[in-house]
Amino acid sequence: MLETIPNSSSFSVMATDDSMSDDVFESPQEISSLHAPSNQTTGTTPSPTGYRDYKPPIELYKSIVEPEVEIAHKTILLGDSGVGKTSLLVQFNTGKFQPGNFSATVGIGFTNKVVVVDDSKIKLQIWDTAGQERFRSVTHAYYRDAHALLLLYDVSSKTSFDNIRAWLGEIKEYAQDDVVIMLLGNKADCPSSERLVRREDGERLAREYNVPFMETSAKTGLNVELAFMAVARDLKSQKCGNPDDQKFNVQDYVREQTQKGSCPPCNT
Amino acid sequence: MSDGTKASPGVGVIGCVSLKEDDIESMEIEDKKRKNDEEEDILLVPEWKEKRKHIFILSSAGKPIYSRHGSEDKLVTLFGVMQALVSFVQDSQDTIHSIQAGNVTIAFLTKGPIILVSVSRTGESVNNMKLQLLYVYNQVVSVLTLTQLTRVFEQRGNFDLRRLLAGSERLIDHLLNFTETQPGFLLGAVKCLPMASSTRDVISQTIINSCSKIKNLVFAILIADNKLITVVKMKKYNLHPADLHIIFNMVNSSESFKPAESWTPICLPTFDASAYMHGHVSYLSEDCEACLLLLSIDRDMFFNLSEAKQTIVDKLRRNNSLEAINEALHRPSICASDLNIPNVWHFLYKYNSVSQFWGPKLEAPYVKKEEQERLLHLYEKLHSTVHKSGRTLKLVFQQLQTETMLGWVTSGFELYVTFDPLVTKKSAINAINKLLNWMKKEEDRLFILNTSNF
Repeated sequence: MLETIPNSSSFSVMATDDSMSDDVFESPQEISSLHAPSNQTTGTTPSPTGYRDYKPPIELYKSIVEPEVEIAHKTILLGDSGVGKTSLLVQFNTGKFQPGNFSATVGIGFTNKVVVVDDSKIKLQIWDTAGQERFRSVTHAYYRDAHALLLLYDVSSKTSFDNIRAWLGEIKEYAQDDVVIMLLGNKADCPSSERLVRREDGERLAREYNVPFMETSAKTGLNVELAFMAVARDLKSQKCGNPDDQKFNVQDYVREQTQKGSCPPCNT
Repeated sequence: MSDGTKASPGVGVIGCVSLKEDDIESMEIEDKKRKNDEEEDILLVPEWKEKRKHIFILSSAGKPIYSRHGSEDKLVTLFGVMQALVSFVQDSQDTIHSIQAGNVTIAFLTKGPIILVSVSRTGESVNNMKLQLLYVYNQVVSVLTLTQLTRVFEQRGNFDLRRLLAGSERLIDHLLNFTETQPGFLLGAVKCLPMASSTRDVISQTIINSCSKIKNLVFAILIADNKLITVVKMKKYNLHPADLHIIFNMVNSSESFKPAESWTPICLPTFDASAYMHGHVSYLSEDCEACLLLLSIDRDMFFNLSEAKQTIVDKLRRNNSLEAINEALHRPSICASDLNIPNVWHFLYKYNSVSQFWGPKLEAPYVKKEEQERLLHLYEKLHSTVHKSGRTLKLVFQQLQTETMLGWVTSGFELYVTFDPLVTKKSAINAINKLLNWMKKEEDRLFILNTSNF
C-alpha cells in the first residue's frame, strides 16, 4: 500500500503536466518527481517531458493510473452466529485456523486486505459482522454501502441454512441492487455424520436466488481463497465496466474453478 | 437496593423469609413428578445440586433467560418456583430479598422486567450476593440497553430474551468469575497499571492531541492486562467504576478484538442506560498488548476513529510510549514482602476520590486458588462488616484463626490489611503507619490522580 502512494502521486503530476504547456522545467522539484517513474519502468515509458503533444498509448496510461484510483471495496460477511464468519476471514487473512476457540464477534470487525487480480490490485475492506440478533440493527446500517456480501451458513446446522432465506430478504431490503452476493456453505470438512445440509440443497437454493455458491472450510482452507478472489474479480469487472471485456460472470468462474483444481470431497 | 432495611418491621416487610430446607425439597419433589416424562432431570444430578453457587436470570413472567450451570431449558420448573416466590411476596406489596435455608442463601434482585437469583453455599453476605447480581444486571443492560429491555417486554410479556442475549452468556459467565476473583468489584474501584506519572501524562496527552478535532468522542480508554493505563474524557462527563468493570469484562472475554479493529455498540449502564455508545476497539499493535477504546455517541465515526487510532499509535511509537507500556506490563509485580513491613501478609488500598485501588501481588500463603478465594472471602466479610448498611465503622480489628484482619475507612481512603494471626494491636498500628507512608510515596505511580480531558 504505502509503496504505491508516492508513485501514484507523481504519476498524476505527470498526467496533468503532460497536457499542459512547456513550463515543465521550471521547478526542479517537479523534474525529479517526473523522472522517478520513468526510472522504474525503464524503456517502456518514453520521456513525457519533451513533446508537447505526446500522449502515452492508452494501455500504458491505464495500467499506470489504475493503482491510484484504487478504492476500497466493502465486503461484508453475513450469516447466523457461529457459522464461521470470523474463522473464514482469519483463514483468508493469515492462513490459520484456531480450533475450539469460539468467541462471538462483538459488533463489527474490520480488516483490510489487498488482493491481486490479473496484475492489478484490488483492495478489499472486509467487515466481519456479529451474527447475533442483537447486532442486526447495527449491521443493517452497513449493508447500504456494501459492494459485496458473503453469506454463510454452516453445513452442520440446519437452522443456519433455513435462515438464509431471511438473510437474503434482509439483503434485498437494505443492500444496493447491484451488490455482489455469494452463498457459502461453511464447515464442509465436518464428518458426514454431522452434516445436515447436503451440497445439492445449497446449490438449489443458490440457483433459486441466482447467486453463486460453493462449500468452504475455514478449517482446511477449502475454497476460502477462491471465494474472496471470485468476489474481487467480480468487483474488478464491475468497476472497469470495460465494454471490450467479456462481462465477468462469477457463477461461471466459480463453477470453473471448483471443478478444476481442488474438487471438494463429495460427501453427500 | 436496600429498601428492606429502611422499612420498619411493623409495616410487614418481609426482609427475610425463612423456609425450611424440607419445604424446598418437597417442592422440588413435586416438580420432579410432574416432569418425569423428560429423560434426564438435571435437578437430580448431584454435581449440579452441589455447585457452590448458582446464578439464574428469568423474566418476570417466569421465562428462563440464563443459568450459570446447566442448560436453562431443563430448569423450567425451577424457574417457575422462583417466579412464584417473587410474585407471591409482590402480591402483598412487598419485595422478597433473601431466603436462608440451612447453609444455603438465596438472594433475589428484581430489576424492571427481569428477576435475578443467586443461590450460594459460600457463606457470603446477602449484600455481596446482591452486588454481584446488580453487576449481572448491568451486563445485561450493557448488551441490550434499558430501553430495548423494557420495550421487548412491554410489547410481549412472554418474550424469550435468550434470542437477544444469544452469544452474551459468555460475557455473563466471565463477569461472574471476574467478580469472584477480583477485589475491584467489592471495592467499587479499578486497578491501574503502575507507571511514572510523567510517562502516563505523555500517553494521555498524545491521545488528546490526536483526537482534538473529533466531535462527539466522549471517552478514550487505554487498558492492558486488566489494568487501566489512562482515561481521557469529555470535560463534563465521568466514567463510573461500574461501567469500567463492564468495559474490562467485555475486552477480556472477547478474543475477536485481537485480530481486527472492531466497531461495537456498548451501553454503559451508569453513564446512560438508555442508549448505546459506539466503540472503536483495537489493540495498539502486534508488539503492544494494550487495548484502546474510543467511545463516541456518533454511529458513523468509525473511519474517523480508525484514523485517530493510527495517529495515536504512530505518535506513541515515536515518543517511546509503546515501549514504556510494555516495560510496565512486564515489570514484576510488587509483593507485600517487598515492602519489608513485618506482620503484613497482604492489603488492599482504595483511593476514594478516584475510585482506584491497589494491592500487592498474592504470595504465600495465598498461592493456591482455594487460598486466594478464601482471602478474597475474608476481605468480603471485613468489607461488609465495615460497611454494614446504615452505619459505617471507622476501624475494625478482627483476630481470626489463621489471620488477623484490619479495616480502616477514612474520607480519603479505605484500607484492608491481612496480618499474621498473632500480631498485637500495637505492632499492627505501627505496620499501618509504615504502609501508609509507603503508599504516599508511591501513589503517583500506582494511581491516576489527575484527570485528562479532551
